[in-house]
Amino acid sequence: MKWFWCVFFAFWPLVAVVLCAIAPSMGWWLPGPAASPLGHRIDDLFYMILVITTITFVGTQVGLAYVLFTGARRTDPDVQEKTWFSHGSHELEVIWSTVPALVLLFIALYQLNVWAEYRVKDAFPKKDMESVLARLHQKRTARDSIALAEVTARQFEWRIRYPGFDAEGNLLPLQEDPQPTDLYAVNDLHLPANAPVMINLKTQDVQHSFFLPDLRVKQDAVPGLVIPVWFEAEHIRSYPLLCAELCGWGHYKMKARFVAESDAGFLNYLRNLHSQQNYDGVQQKADDGDE
Amino acid sequence: MSSIAITHDAGAQSHQPAEDGIDRLALLKQVYKFSTDHKVIGIQFLLFNLVMLMVGGALALGVRWQLAFPWEQVPIFGHLVAKNISMGGQISPEFYTMLFTMHASVMIWLVIIPVLAGAFGNFLIPLMIGADDMAFPLLNALSFWLMLPTAFFFAMALGLGGELSGVRGGMDGGSAQGWTSYPVLSALKQASPGSEAGQFWWLMAVNCVGVSSMMGSVNYMTTIINMRAPGMTLFRMPLTIWSMFITAILQAFALPVLTATGFMLMMDNTLGTCFFVPSGLVVNNAEPTLGGGQSLLWQHLFWFYSHPAVYIMVLPAMGMVSDMLSCTCRRPIFGYKPMVYSLAAIAGLGFIVWGHHMFISGMNPALGMTFMVSTIMIALPSAVKVFNWIGTIWGGRPEFNCVFLNCVAFVSMFIVGGLSGIFMAAVPVDIYIHDTYFIVAHFHYVLFGATLFCVFGGIHFWFPKMFGRLMNETWGKIHFFLTFIGFNGTFFPMHLLGIAGMPRRYADPYLHPYLEHLLPLNQFMTICAIIMGFAQFILIGNFLWSCLYGKIAGRNPWRANGLEWSAPSPPGHGNFDIPPIVYRGPYEYSDPDHDSDFWPQWEPPVVRPKKPEPPADQ
Amino acid sequence: MRTFIHDQKVSAGMEAASMAPAISRSGFRCLVGIFCLGLTLFSGCGKLDFTPREEFSRLEPYAQNYVSTVLKEYYGTPTEMVVWDRLPVKKHLSTGKVTEATDHQVVLELSEPHQEITSGTELLWTSGPLKNQGSSWIRNWDEKTHTATLVTALKDPPEAGTTVVVGPGQVLVRGRHLYAVHCQHCHGVSGDGNGPTAEYLNPLPRDYRKGVFKFTLTQAQERASREDLARTVEEGIPGTYMPSFKLLTPDESESIIEYVLWLSMRGETEYQLVRFLSDDYSKESVAERVKDGLEKKKAGETDYETYASIREDFVTAVNDPEDMQSELDSMIELMVSRWTSSQTPEARLAPQENRVAYDARSIAHGRELYLSKDLNCVACHGDAGYGDGPQTYSITKDLETGKENVEPGLYDAWGHPIQPRNLHTGIYRGGRRPIDLYSRVHAGIKGTPMPAFGAKLKDQDIWDIVNFIYSVPFQTEQAGSGMQKAEDPASAEKEVAIK
Repeated sequence: MKWFWCVFFAFWPLVAVVLCAIAPSMGWWLPGPAASPLGHRIDDLFYMILVITTITFVGTQVGLAYVLFTGARRTDPDVQEKTWFSHGSHELEVIWSTVPALVLLFIALYQLNVWAEYRVKDAFPKKDMESVLARLHQKRTARDSIALAEVTARQFEWRIRYPGFDAEGNLLPLQEDPQPTDLYAVNDLHLPANAPVMINLKTQDVQHSFFLPDLRVKQDAVPGLVIPVWFEAEHIRSYPLLCAELCGWGHYKMKARFVAESDAGFLNYLRNLHSQQNYDGVQQKADDGDE
Repeated sequence: MSSIAITHDAGAQSHQPAEDGIDRLALLKQVYKFSTDHKVIGIQFLLFNLVMLMVGGALALGVRWQLAFPWEQVPIFGHLVAKNISMGGQISPEFYTMLFTMHASVMIWLVIIPVLAGAFGNFLIPLMIGADDMAFPLLNALSFWLMLPTAFFFAMALGLGGELSGVRGGMDGGSAQGWTSYPVLSALKQASPGSEAGQFWWLMAVNCVGVSSMMGSVNYMTTIINMRAPGMTLFRMPLTIWSMFITAILQAFALPVLTATGFMLMMDNTLGTCFFVPSGLVVNNAEPTLGGGQSLLWQHLFWFYSHPAVYIMVLPAMGMVSDMLSCTCRRPIFGYKPMVYSLAAIAGLGFIVWGHHMFISGMNPALGMTFMVSTIMIALPSAVKVFNWIGTIWGGRPEFNCVFLNCVAFVSMFIVGGLSGIFMAAVPVDIYIHDTYFIVAHFHYVLFGATLFCVFGGIHFWFPKMFGRLMNETWGKIHFFLTFIGFNGTFFPMHLLGIAGMPRRYADPYLHPYLEHLLPLNQFMTICAIIMGFAQFILIGNFLWSCLYGKIAGRNPWRANGLEWSAPSPPGHGNFDIPPIVYRGPYEYSDPDHDSDFWPQWEPPVVRPKKPEPPADQ
Repeated sequence: MRTFIHDQKVSAGMEAASMAPAISRSGFRCLVGIFCLGLTLFSGCGKLDFTPREEFSRLEPYAQNYVSTVLKEYYGTPTEMVVWDRLPVKKHLSTGKVTEATDHQVVLELSEPHQEITSGTELLWTSGPLKNQGSSWIRNWDEKTHTATLVTALKDPPEAGTTVVVGPGQVLVRGRHLYAVHCQHCHGVSGDGNGPTAEYLNPLPRDYRKGVFKFTLTQAQERASREDLARTVEEGIPGTYMPSFKLLTPDESESIIEYVLWLSMRGETEYQLVRFLSDDYSKESVAERVKDGLEKKKAGETDYETYASIREDFVTAVNDPEDMQSELDSMIELMVSRWTSSQTPEARLAPQENRVAYDARSIAHGRELYLSKDLNCVACHGDAGYGDGPQTYSITKDLETGKENVEPGLYDAWGHPIQPRNLHTGIYRGGRRPIDLYSRVHAGIKGTPMPAFGAKLKDQDIWDIVNFIYSVPFQTEQAGSGMQKAEDPASAEKEVAIK
């Protein structure tokens, strides 16, 4: 019976490793390659840690299996081998304290700059963001916000406010407070692709979290705070946007999308919003105000 | 010759009820009384926790049902819950939020923490250190009896009191903010159905259980420091005692923060203060909040407690596993002092890592960096412990009984849980996996896979001391097998779900197209969860049956070294018929200089004549 | 012995166990479905049924019986719906006729637009020799060629011109599935706005059962059009818990709307019927009549009513085609015609003039109109537009009965207290487009005390009011400033909205 248990404990880590190996082909893995440069770095980090932990996992489980098997053999009636009477080994303790410590420290320090770039305002790619705004011909000064949209989470949807156009049709900068020219949308965020863009994340009521799985972006929306979140979408397509912080019974329902557009596409979208938002029922529109 | 005759009767006789005059159910018969005997209190805790384990498990099965068969009628139970009957037994979204909130709350505060500290801590500490009872027996009893109001408050929070308790809508109005209860969701009554009376009852329960734990922690620290038997120096204490001691310190420092914070939130919720509520929020079209508070403050205060809490939920298990492994493998623990220092390091570091629950919360990113470093470092003492456990089995002669199997499972699962923690400690990776099922997998591996398997092992191991009988080995192994398979089937795929980006606390993840394909996997997990859940009835059945009909056990059926095995089974009032004196550490197994393969702590040293010198010319 | 005139009834049955939409089609799910079915059978099938109105319980039992029977016959239960052809809702995926056929493939000409046809859809023959021989099932549907490959080959292929119904009742069935997933917990199984979640929400979810929907672009006397409902579903209602369901597919959105309309019609049928019967056959009025009858009996008259005789009368009335049945018939007719007429282009509001420029003059004039005694906006919306006018603390009259409400304040058509809109928030529940605000003023808000001013005001004036409303969130308010001169928004450098 003991051999059964030895095999049992050796077997299940094998199953775990096999499962993880086949998981990507079954679709139980990352939802596709990362769609943003920061996302790629996050994925690289993830894989690096995966390799380190897999080696550790296999190593320790093999060690465990080894001691189980040898222990079981030692309890066979015909085996004379004595139990090892040892209270430990100082050398081993030092080895298996310092080696993991170094590995762990390496993991910790290796990735600090990814985090900084993502969240520390001074490390934001401000120049690139400003160049995008220049391409969009936004009429701005240096002190204006570089955010292109204000995303306000509320129970249970995403309310989006874009800056509108001035009288000449130039894109205005996003102001902190709502303006008469602002454009509004819900559950449908459009921003330029292939460039770092920033949103101001707010919440109207409780905590929510702005989660773009494909871009590996997540940021909690905190009541009372306005948090700048930046990201860069590499492909012109639609990405799912969901809430990742319990906000009540409708937490799962906050289904939205982020559509990365070309520059022209983005401006077009805003112009569409503008004309829909100013629809007075007299001009004959083919579609009734839908996206 | 030692004055204490150690009988080697590891249950040779079967079915010998009170013929030998020993009332093996003496302790069990006192559980309904207000006893101050630590053993009775320990058993009271244990029975209470086993019941709560089933309650928490049932709530989890509700969660799993919804994830496997979203919006379908819940069989049997769907027709019991009033509001859901109107929808034909379908779970409503707020009911689902209540389910996972109460599952976590019940499991954490009514099962895991009390079973380690309350059940095993209470029962074992005086016995293992050679004391006749705890330092404060009355306080000890109060600590247990406070669990009953706690359970009552949690039941009210579940919504079982209905309109009588002020909870509108029965279980639909149950507390539903997650066990983490973040404001503003929990602070404003209008923010969710569960934030009304449900939240109030929840906070009452948490404060009540906090007081109970604090009573326990004071007791344990005092007892361990002051009441050790002669000869029991600190470094001759079993690791169980070290872990209970360090856990008690953790509780003493962390719990007051939780209790204070809980009161602040209660005031926000009921009196309308704004500790955690900023101004100008309009929730559910109520008046805008007056504000002045910050919701991040709750997170800091709550996690300042709750991170040490998770170590409270695992350190005693680590200690117990060390003792059980050492005994079942007939080997000394590998690296006793490093093990002690690791326990202390985990506890100490545990106080400076709370921010890793808040990386994405919007707190200052510089804090994120510091917390990341400390969090990654806390993996180190845990890793050292894992190596030491493997080292303990190495070179041993393991008895592959239930106790051993559960302990090996502990080590194996803890490896998984610990390694998955490294992903989360890395902040950029945490950006992606925070609040997904990866986190859920991690903590279930350490709390269930590690701690609970240790508890199962501990029940088998110390059952003979509590009730003078052994639990049935075969059923114990069947229970272990089913639980292990069910557990891994349920929780290992959660790692994959998390990597796939499936968020936590979602009543219907399949609304989102990129998650639709995960439904079959979730259904498989639910079936495993059902198997695992029902397997626990085997444990309870075994427990109850063995109380009455188990094989008789003597004082030391496992041939172990700890002081508790010198007491009768079950110990009477005052524990030891002969006050013990300690001569050595607790891990002297298979000493080549000793006749038998174990050398109990209480056996006096044997003076042997020196061997004659060999003749000089040989 | 009912002799209602109705067209063919098509029963849309559903598998008893499963209510979840078929998302994944793996074989594993099939196995699990059997497991689930087993469990459900073991536990007893969910007896899901529509919940009746409150007034229903005040009817005499035989009247209740009658109402239940009628509703069940023409509407069924949620899990076994009856698709009544008389109702102006889209029921089937499509209807059409055969153009070519072989024994296992049929080419169809279908009414457009039609919803997506998937494998496993039913194909119901409605003419020709196949008519009463059971439906066929589509194994594969090719949208380009409109060819259906059948699961079972037919003995004799149908002739060209044979009429078919593709997916009979499936739009409603799909709608029901989606409703159960997305809408039911707030709006209730019967569309009564009283699902489990409803009691915690402010404002309450819509009760469909009077056929009234608030935010429409139709004339004041018309009902909501499908576009209005579609817009609500897509955009949500900001400032409430009705979220935006923008990410539903057009098919899904359409199915839900048809189902909501169906629920509304069912609710209205119930409402009208119960109301009609309440006059004579509610418990209260029957008790009255019996009491009168007893007095007459005491007075020695022979012609008095007893409980049994009232019941007799009822049974006679029900079975008389000229009486109850024709009454019911006309109720249905009225409901159908009102819904149908609301879907026509003529029902929509059509402003004749473009919105005037958003400038100081327009805003000033808008304010003048707002404050005028004639329109009396301030009675509800308050002098400064905070929604705190005198009506909010006066005794008002019930919209339907005209009786005075007990508690002060304004009430909507569903009997719930309602607040006039605070114009300073910048939240416009029915939509923020000019046409939306125009509609609120011109046609009022159906089901609420907001009246329709279309008869009183010219388009120009309405646009001025609209412009004023837009300006309110951006105006600063100073105590004692009285009639403040409006600032031209174009000249302001940086506007700040005071909430």
